[in-house]
Amino acid sequence: MTINVVQAALLGLCACLSSMPGLGGTTFGNYTLGRPLVAGLVVGLILGNVPMGIMLGAAVQVVYIALVTPGGTVSADVRAISYIGIPLAMLYAAGMGWTGAESEAQNFAVTMAATVGTLGTVLFYGTATMNLIWQHWGMNQVDQGKLDSLYLVDWVFPWISHIVCSFIPTFIICLMGSSMVQVIKDYLPMDGLAMKTLFTVGSLLPSVGVAILLKQVISKPVDFLTFFFGFTLCAFMHLNLIGCAIVGGFFAIMNYNIRVLALRPVAAVGAAADDDEEDI
Amino acid sequence: MKTLSKKTLSKSFNHWFYGNLTCFSQEHMQTFGYMLSMLPVIKELYDTNEERTQKLKTYSTFFNTEPQVGSVVVGITTGMEEARANGEDVDDETINGIRAGLMGPLAGIGDSLVVGTLLPILLGIALGLSGGGSPLGAIFYILVWNIGMYFLMRFMYFKGYELGGKAVEVLVGEKANAIRESIIMLGTMVIGGVTASWINITTSFKMLNSEGGVIVDLQKTLDDVYPSLLSAVFVLICWYLLSKKRMSPLLVMLILVAVAFVGVLVGFFDPGLSY
Repeated sequence: MTINVVQAALLGLCACLSSMPGLGGTTFGNYTLGRPLVAGLVVGLILGNVPMGIMLGAAVQVVYIALVTPGGTVSADVRAISYIGIPLAMLYAAGMGWTGAESEAQNFAVTMAATVGTLGTVLFYGTATMNLIWQHWGMNQVDQGKLDSLYLVDWVFPWISHIVCSFIPTFIICLMGSSMVQVIKDYLPMDGLAMKTLFTVGSLLPSVGVAILLKQVISKPVDFLTFFFGFTLCAFMHLNLIGCAIVGGFFAIMNYNIRVLALRPVAAVGAAADDDEEDI
Repeated sequence: MKTLSKKTLSKSFNHWFYGNLTCFSQEHMQTFGYMLSMLPVIKELYDTNEERTQKLKTYSTFFNTEPQVGSVVVGITTGMEEARANGEDVDDETINGIRAGLMGPLAGIGDSLVVGTLLPILLGIALGLSGGGSPLGAIFYILVWNIGMYFLMRFMYFKGYELGGKAVEVLVGEKANAIRESIIMLGTMVIGGVTASWINITTSFKMLNSEGGVIVDLQKTLDDVYPSLLSAVFVLICWYLLSKKRMSPLLVMLILVAVAFVGVLVGFFDPGLSY
């Protein structure tokens, strides 16, 4: 598997659309194209191996399942994870003769994506800083009463920032990807300590992603029971995640009903059984 | 009496839906997306360019929140701007008071509920549909997330427009809290499921007797106690480091690199690689 100029350009375009702040918009850009699972599909289509893209993308997705960017601070850059990390991981996996289903392939993809994702934060700060130029110009235009210039500031000029900070880096790195992957293969033997560590890191990293999520949702120790309830459903009782979500949804509805009952004045609880329909 | 046309409201909403963060910078964040989505509203309500410029400048103050939930704020100020154009007593300070007052709480709700809970639930389900490299999960996520968010944001924008300043009570009331708590409960369970299904940490540690027979196969022992126990333990350790020791995610990742290195050295981890 290699990446030609057209493929690299398509990956570069996806990087422009998907980043935070991306030109695909927040919902479709950052939160759809930027998610590694979706990127797995897109990169798989571009490189011509959808199953491998999905399997590697899904593995990487677990690490970034809770990629929240509070107040615009980023710890990892989605465009780099999705459109540099996943293509490189696919090149390497294909070079090793893997299909993507092997845990080695997935652990490699995770480590690769996490590394470029962390380094990629520089792209985020680059884009945001360059946008200052357009905004400064835009404020002046508004002061002069040229209000329609806002369209240029918000929708057109950021393309320049993205061509510099998203398109070009992605294009070049992906184009050089095949030779970089060859270097890794030549200098890092698979049974050596470095590679063993690298692959072990890949299997450990998703636990950070999940822990970030837990940090937000766990407010008291007893909440861990809720977490382990879901864990047990899947680990012991072998429900898949859809089944788990349905069981969870049932408990959530019960909890909601109990909470709403508790909000009412004590005397009214018995009488007001059927006025649940208040609009919120 | 001036009433905004449905067309203008849709245009204003769509400007926000697409452009809330397209020109992001650390200094102004969502301010330009906000001004652009108010532009169609202001053009319809005011006739002279001087008046339009003056009113639009109300929205040139800093704005940043979770942009998807934040569509309700744009709706609220649209409603207030309409009231102002009809001569009601609404000034810049009232509008910016509401914007500044809702920014923080809505960022909290949006980050924890939408991005921190709803999105992982959908991704969790999508991962469940991706077995064997099937594109079904990704397609499911693309459709459900985008269509769902578009209509949710649209609903919130128009609800905000209808209620104007009164929307504030609805957003931070007790009932909203009950919904929020219940959805977080669902999210926590799905996260547990994701941990069990998608994290696969195993040990290769075995104790051998002098003939090379296995006395203790640690992974097998652990599986008998509680399947995927090591995965759960690692998640708990990371959670402890992040929230109790207040470490940054990057630092925790580096610690894991060190743990992996030492673990491989002592034979606790072995990914079993070969050419």
